[in-house]
Order: sequence, then C-alpha cells, then structure tokens
Amino acid sequence: MIIPVRCFTCGKLIGDKWEEFANRVKAGEKAGDVLDNLGIKRYCCRRMLLSHVEIIDEILRFYEEAEKRKEARPY
Amino acid sequence: MSKLVEIEVLEKDDKNMRLLIRGVDVPYMNALRRTVIAEVPCMAIDEIVVIENSSTFQDEVIAHRLGLIPLKTDLEGYNLPEECPCKSEFGCNLCRVTLALDVESKEKTRTVYSGELESENPSIIPVSDTIPIIKLAKEQKLKLEAYARLGKGKNHAKWQPVSMCTHKYFPKIEISCKKCDGCGKCVEICPRKVLAKTGNRIEIRDLMACTLCQDCVETCPQNPPAVKITWEENAFIFALESTCVLSPEKIMTEAIKILDGQLKDLERQIKVKKSEKD
Repeated sequence: MIIPVRCFTCGKLIGDKWEEFANRVKAGEKAGDVLDNLGIKRYCCRRMLLSHVEIIDEILRFYEEAEKRKEARPY
Repeated sequence: MSKLVEIEVLEKDDKNMRLLIRGVDVPYMNALRRTVIAEVPCMAIDEIVVIENSSTFQDEVIAHRLGLIPLKTDLEGYNLPEECPCKSEFGCNLCRVTLALDVESKEKTRTVYSGELESENPSIIPVSDTIPIIKLAKEQKLKLEAYARLGKGKNHAKWQPVSMCTHKYFPKIEISCKKCDGCGKCVEICPRKVLAKTGNRIEIRDLMACTLCQDCVETCPQNPPAVKITWEENAFIFALESTCVLSPEKIMTEAIKILDGQLKDLERQIKVKKSEKD
C-alpha cells in the first residue's frame, strides 16, 4: 500500500529512501545504481524498494474524485 | 579467558562498524552478537491513542508503522519500564516519552512525514525526518498521541538497535609457490576477488573479503591443491550496522556491560545453589 518503514528481513530503515529512489528511477537512472548510491547493500533491502508499488496513490484518487464532485454540486 | 583480547577497528562511521577481535572464542563472540540483537535496549513507540482518524488506513496499521520508526535513544535518561521505580502500567516521565501527531490535509493530497511527530523531549525524535507515515487526501485528518518506551529486541524487532550484526572467522590463505603453476583458475572463480595474478604468481589482494567458500581449492588443477584456505583460531571479524538509534560504539559497550552483568548473575545463582546443597 505505502512504502514499509523498515526492511522486512533485516530491519534497516528504507521508508525515507523511497521518494528519492522513485523520482530518480522515473527520471531515467538505472535502479541498481540508485540503490548503490543510497547505500542499500543487501538484497533483502534492495527488493523492498525494487518491488514496491505505491497503491495508496491509486486509492486516494477515488477520494480526490469524490471531493471534486462534491464541489461541483450546485446545492 | 586469561589471554589478552585485542581489538582493531577496521572500519567505522556513524552507522557501521567492523572490528577485528583476537583472543576470544566462538561462544563468547556468539553471545556478544546475540546480546547486541536481543538485549541492548532502545526507544520505540509502543502504544498510541487515536483521537481522530479519517484516513484510508486503520488505526492498527498506523500504530504498526509508527512503532517501526527508529527513535534516537538516550539510555542514561530513561529506565526500562519493568525496572522503573514508578511501577506504573502507564509509565512516568522517567520511562515514557509522549509524541503527538496532529495533521490534516486542507488543499490537496499530501504525505505525512515522521518529522511532523512532535516529541515532548527534543532529544527523542525520529532518526530521519522524511519517513512517510501516511498519505492523506483532502479533508482527511489524523490526530493521535503516541507513547514511546525503552524495550529489548527479544520482545519485538522494533527494539533492535541494529539492522545487522555478524561475526565471521578471520581467513588464512596459504599458496604454495612450489605446487602452483600460475594457471589463474582460482583468481577467475573467486566471487569476492580475493586473489590476484601478478606475472606467474598468485597473490592475495583482499584477505578480509574471503568468505571461506573453498571454490579456489576445488578448482585448482594441482593434486593436492596449491591453495589452502583455513581460518585463524580465536580471531573474528565482527560487523555491526546500527539503525542510528544509538552509535555503533555505544551499542558495543552497552552489550558488553549487559553480557558481563548476566554472567555475574549466573555465577551468583550457581553459588547460591551450591550453598543450598551444603
């Protein structure tokens, strides 16, 4: 749903690195290089970021849409 | 252990530490490792009171996420709840820290970060300000109070001060110049690139990286093999990666103190049992 705070296996803090990772990969950098750059060495932590899908963004779209409709209503 | 223990720091920064320890045995090293993981206390949010939550997450999910956020710990200023003189289920200001979170999304969807947690003690704060706690759409609100306590890794992984703590044998590589014909097969097969070929001779490039996998021994065409991998008796490489709640050297000294206390306690109990027999 949202990026986990820590690595499931070893407990390293990875939550704060997600946004930078996602932005840099979207900008065209190689995922492996970004992970090395962020200092994520072990493969348990690397898979946390590599395999993550931020589903909460999709869910929040429903709420955004509902809010828009509420505003558009004349009464 | 009457021999002198030698410790050499191989590598150290604010998060990682690698030590070369000589003069201890396997049981002691393993006890130390387990003490670091399970017995060194650190701060984590343990209970929360949710006042308002209109977000997409259930209260439990938020509680779990908050619990996993590593908090900078002050071991001298706080007591473990079970050892605190207050004996209170709710804790006192010597064994509990209150953190508050009051966030609302007014305009558009936004992320709530760990930096928005307001702590009553400015030294007990999340190690990073940019851990996403939750995302809120417009008009969603989250208001809660969280109570952080000291705890031990054996009770919950959130109280573990390290994300990695290992020990391995110190490798010893012997290359026999007489038997080796410098074919270089051992250099190619080594996954950690421990060996290097210079001219017709095989040399050790990075001894510490050796994992004792014995691949080089198996691939050697000579019979018996020209390369021999063993490990030094009573020498270990001890590696530790902190989650930043405590500094690595603080974790180490604390672990040794705790282990010493436990051993003394055991000795005392044995003596009591003996005197009961007499």
